[in-house]
Amino acid sequence: MNYIDLFRATLPETALEVAALLVLVLDLSLLRKAALKARVAVAALLGIAGCGAALWAVLLQGNQGLFFKGTGEFLLATGGYAAVAQAGILVLTALTLLLLIDSVFTRHVGEYVAVVLMAAAGGLLIAGARDLLVIFVGLELLSLGLYILTAFAKSSGKSAEAALKYYLFGGMSAAFLLFGFSYFYGLSGSTNLAEIQRAIAATGPSPLFYVAWILVVAGLGFKVAAVPFHLWAPDTYEGAPAPAAAFIASVSKVASFALLLTVSLNWLMPGAQGNGSLTYLWGVYQTWPALATILLVIAAASMMVGNLAALVQVSVRRLLAYSAIAHAGYILLGIAVHPVYNWHESLIGFTQNARGPAALSANAVLYYILTYGLTTIGAFGVMDVVERATGSDRMDAFLGLHKRNPVLAAVLLVLFLSLAGIPPLVGFWAKFNLFAAVLGNSGGVVPFALVALAVGLSAVSLYYYLQVLKRAYVMPAVDETPIKAHPVTLTVLVGIAAAVVLLGCFPALLQGWIGSFRP
Amino acid sequence: MQETISFTPQLAASPIAEILWLIPAVPIVASGAIALLKQPKRRTAATLAIGSLSFSLLLALVAFVHVVGEWAHGGGVRETVNFTWIQVGSSHVDLGWVLDPLSAVMLVMVAFVGLLIFIYSTGYMEHDENFTRFFCFLSLFAGAMLGVVISNSLLLLFMCWELVGLTSYLLIGFWYHKPAAAAAAKKAFMTTRVGDVFFLLGIVWFFAQTGTLLFYNHGAGSLEPVALAALLAQPAALGLTAAGAIGLLIFAGAAGKSGQFPLHVWLPDAMEGPTPVSALIHAATMVAAGVYLIARVYPLMQAGALTGGTTTALTVVTWVGAFTAVFAALIAVAQNDIKRILAYSTVSQLGYMMAGLGMGGVAVGMFHLITHAFFKALLFLGAGSVIHGCHEEQDVRRMGGLRSDMPLTFVTYAIGMLALCGFPLFFSGFWSKDGILEAAQHWSVAKTPFYMLVFGALLTAFYMTRQVGYVFFGYWRGHKAAHESPAVMTVPLAILAFFAMALGLIGTPAWPWFRAFLDGHALAFQMSGFAEPGLIALMGTSTAVVFLGLGLGWWLYGGKAPEPEQPDVLEKAAPLPWVWLRNRLYVDELYGVTVIAFYAWWARVADWLDRRVWGGAVTGVAWAFRGWAQLNRFLDTNWVDGGFDKGCEELATGGGLLARVQSGRVQTYLRLLAVAVVALVAILIWSSRA
Repeated sequence: MNYIDLFRATLPETALEVAALLVLVLDLSLLRKAALKARVAVAALLGIAGCGAALWAVLLQGNQGLFFKGTGEFLLATGGYAAVAQAGILVLTALTLLLLIDSVFTRHVGEYVAVVLMAAAGGLLIAGARDLLVIFVGLELLSLGLYILTAFAKSSGKSAEAALKYYLFGGMSAAFLLFGFSYFYGLSGSTNLAEIQRAIAATGPSPLFYVAWILVVAGLGFKVAAVPFHLWAPDTYEGAPAPAAAFIASVSKVASFALLLTVSLNWLMPGAQGNGSLTYLWGVYQTWPALATILLVIAAASMMVGNLAALVQVSVRRLLAYSAIAHAGYILLGIAVHPVYNWHESLIGFTQNARGPAALSANAVLYYILTYGLTTIGAFGVMDVVERATGSDRMDAFLGLHKRNPVLAAVLLVLFLSLAGIPPLVGFWAKFNLFAAVLGNSGGVVPFALVALAVGLSAVSLYYYLQVLKRAYVMPAVDETPIKAHPVTLTVLVGIAAAVVLLGCFPALLQGWIGSFRP
Repeated sequence: MQETISFTPQLAASPIAEILWLIPAVPIVASGAIALLKQPKRRTAATLAIGSLSFSLLLALVAFVHVVGEWAHGGGVRETVNFTWIQVGSSHVDLGWVLDPLSAVMLVMVAFVGLLIFIYSTGYMEHDENFTRFFCFLSLFAGAMLGVVISNSLLLLFMCWELVGLTSYLLIGFWYHKPAAAAAAKKAFMTTRVGDVFFLLGIVWFFAQTGTLLFYNHGAGSLEPVALAALLAQPAALGLTAAGAIGLLIFAGAAGKSGQFPLHVWLPDAMEGPTPVSALIHAATMVAAGVYLIARVYPLMQAGALTGGTTTALTVVTWVGAFTAVFAALIAVAQNDIKRILAYSTVSQLGYMMAGLGMGGVAVGMFHLITHAFFKALLFLGAGSVIHGCHEEQDVRRMGGLRSDMPLTFVTYAIGMLALCGFPLFFSGFWSKDGILEAAQHWSVAKTPFYMLVFGALLTAFYMTRQVGYVFFGYWRGHKAAHESPAVMTVPLAILAFFAMALGLIGTPAWPWFRAFLDGHALAFQMSGFAEPGLIALMGTSTAVVFLGLGLGWWLYGGKAPEPEQPDVLEKAAPLPWVWLRNRLYVDELYGVTVIAFYAWWARVADWLDRRVWGGAVTGVAWAFRGWAQLNRFLDTNWVDGGFDKGCEELATGGGLLARVQSGRVQTYLRLLAVAVVALVAILIWSSRA
């Protein structure tokens, strides 16, 4: 490893950091006396330019990376599915920055944008990380940014409260995670995911390994807001300023799921290291069912709790939080179910197409999380506009929205129906791909039952999404004064809705793009 | 039977083929834009619709010229652009579009006739308050129809096909406040649905057998030799191969759309729509989509035929077509509504096209399709002009003598009528109908279709003369004096009239440009084309038949049409057949007492089942629960009354506990986090031991 390689591998992160510093310097020096609007516009545009540069770097990098000293294993990988997640992170970050243009919750725009960019850099790191230390550093970079963003509405007590809760919960989870990492290092003598997998496969799993795994799952489960590590989410979604909440709900989710995907591809999937000899397979075969079982339990619990708790919410922010928990459950299902289920039945069949189905379910997970992030940003954008006009995020604030602002109501309709998984919107294909991948990977009864549960709960979710839409379209309006939205905000929201429709009508566009990154 | 068409496969699509998708996309986008317009924005709506279709026409012409140019350099062109639409794992569904002579010719025809009718509509619909909505639907229709034409995938074709059906429904029922229009729209939608169900079955079967729905895909398409050979090897029921069975299923869809017997009943009723709609959708383009579909999947229909032979599917197409041709022409004789006569004539002519496809191949059927599109659109627009001029009167018995009141309409209408009758040499209908008759004469299976079609030609000349006699000759029998239509309506008539005559030039035996173009052959001008054995005799026969029909019609109706209240001349001569024909041979009534009666009965049965059986079961369960509840209440009041109060307390505490979980207190959250970790570790260690 030399500095040239380091620079090359971390080019996207570097671009973001440079942009963050530029924003800070400009905002605090040249633009000190400028009007708030101009400062917001400059900061957001610079941030978007940074994202653009980083995106260019990501797409240019190709499959390479930074090697772990002395081995052929990656410390930090680029290309492949990491590039897909990174590109998604950058695009979604740029969208949340665009939504900032109309926001009024802070005067410290330079700091806000800089923190967003640094958090996004953390997200890029963990999407490509293959080493416990890099993972932890990236995760903390991301998390610390999120805590600050949540607290950014300084005049709002709710914001501060939410940030403190989030911080305490996050700190505790990070402690668990680090504790788990230290066990892994102790068990294997390495911090590299692949090395750890080999070491544990050689010795066989011990109870300590299980404890370490649970600790890691607790840390990562916190990031993706999976039950029972979800308790922070409703409060945070409710208290954070809307652009920050949109960032937490989308970018942070993409990065965290990319990390979970890395972990599961390295540890859950036998033979993923490229040397699928039978001893390895046996070694992992004995460890994995328990690991995946935990993920399945968490997935089922998230789907149940998220969807059922969302039914009784009256705050749209909390509703989105619980729906996010439910979506996390679906995605975890895709991450947990791997071709090993087939392996019981036909060893040869499995070894022949081990990479095929697993890559497929990874694709489906990426497809889901990217489109979900896009849709959620739009949902938060609409909610933000309504909240500022009415002063409330209650469902009743949406009464008569189609009369007060028909475009906004139409965007909401498209996004919520997509979240519920109605064809031909993109949310339908996300669910379809994911469930098809799960069923394709395993002939087992348990995954089948879980998919059936997920489909049933998707139908349940339609109820609470329609509760909001019913207020926007059907129920009589209390107040019919028009709601005005900033033209940029409106353009972004309409663009997101159009993308949701377009990607839904041509599902192979995004599928093909993700597939083109297959390692 | 012609020999198999050979096309050189094109590996790289030309630039014009790459952007072919714009041709349907632009009118569809325009339609969406018009949908957003407010009602009074009439001019913008018309401009958008006409502008978008002009753009499509321009592109279509460029594509056509490109194809002609390539053909002139030898060989046919077939350029396809395909893309993956849905991908699930390793299986995928592809869509695409194709540019070949067939689609190029059809594109130009649809866009050109459509544009003329759009322009005409601005005059015809001038006083309608829903002018913008009309152009929204019309534009959507044009886009969808162009989509049908360029589809290189049965699935994409089916989507556009359904979209076309939808707009047809919307436009037939455009004046939905008229009960007849609303009923006609429903009837059209549901009757074509019968055919479409079979069509969809055919598509699914086709996909299951070949694994692709692309027509052409560099050798891997479903209409290419590999897939067809596999289909032929696959036996289906009743001695059919899979190819034959799928072909028949697809033909059922085509029959529904193209009004072939026994699914023709919707088309005459569809005349309740505005006349430009009848001209565009129910005469020139949409109803021809079925014929086009058969032409498009012709390799499938033809699969397995030896040289000079035919296949079951094509035989069925021929018989259905020939029967429909005569059947509808007979009914047309006894109709009095100017548009209904034309509607039955359309059904009859569609039968000719089907028969032409079945016996003579793609070029024969398609040539009649193209010429018919022009002269039938002309006739409908002429009829619209007449109706407009006669103050919305549609009964031919209440018209008369219009040749002096509406001279331009009369001249153009007469040209269209002569073209439809197949008047020799100077009219396109003569050449295209002759092509079909010639193919019928040489058909190896039977000679009956030939005689049927000749008889149909006689009837055609007769009923058209009757109509023209009623409308344009004699004396005015209406109420208010008729007037000529504005130029925006008559100019399209004149243009269409020109093509109704001129198009014949490209399909004469001496210079069979159209056939050579579609088949990708070289072309030369040779008078010896007429010297084929029997050809001159055939032309003589058909000429004689046409003159016989014209003469009979003129003899009975020329200039001496009866008063509206008096019975028709033929009715006096043969009352019983007249009543039968007048009542459309009672096909509607037959359906009423069979299919519809069956459905009504079935609905009653289902209703009865619902109320008595299922409802009874539900009620029974409810009663059982009630009984159970009564028992419980008895036990409750007597035994566990005290326990109930206790239970209430417990529940209240439990609810409080749940609420406390999400209390907002961080200490609780963190405690729960620790508990969760411990619990999960316990689960994990327990499960791994098992």
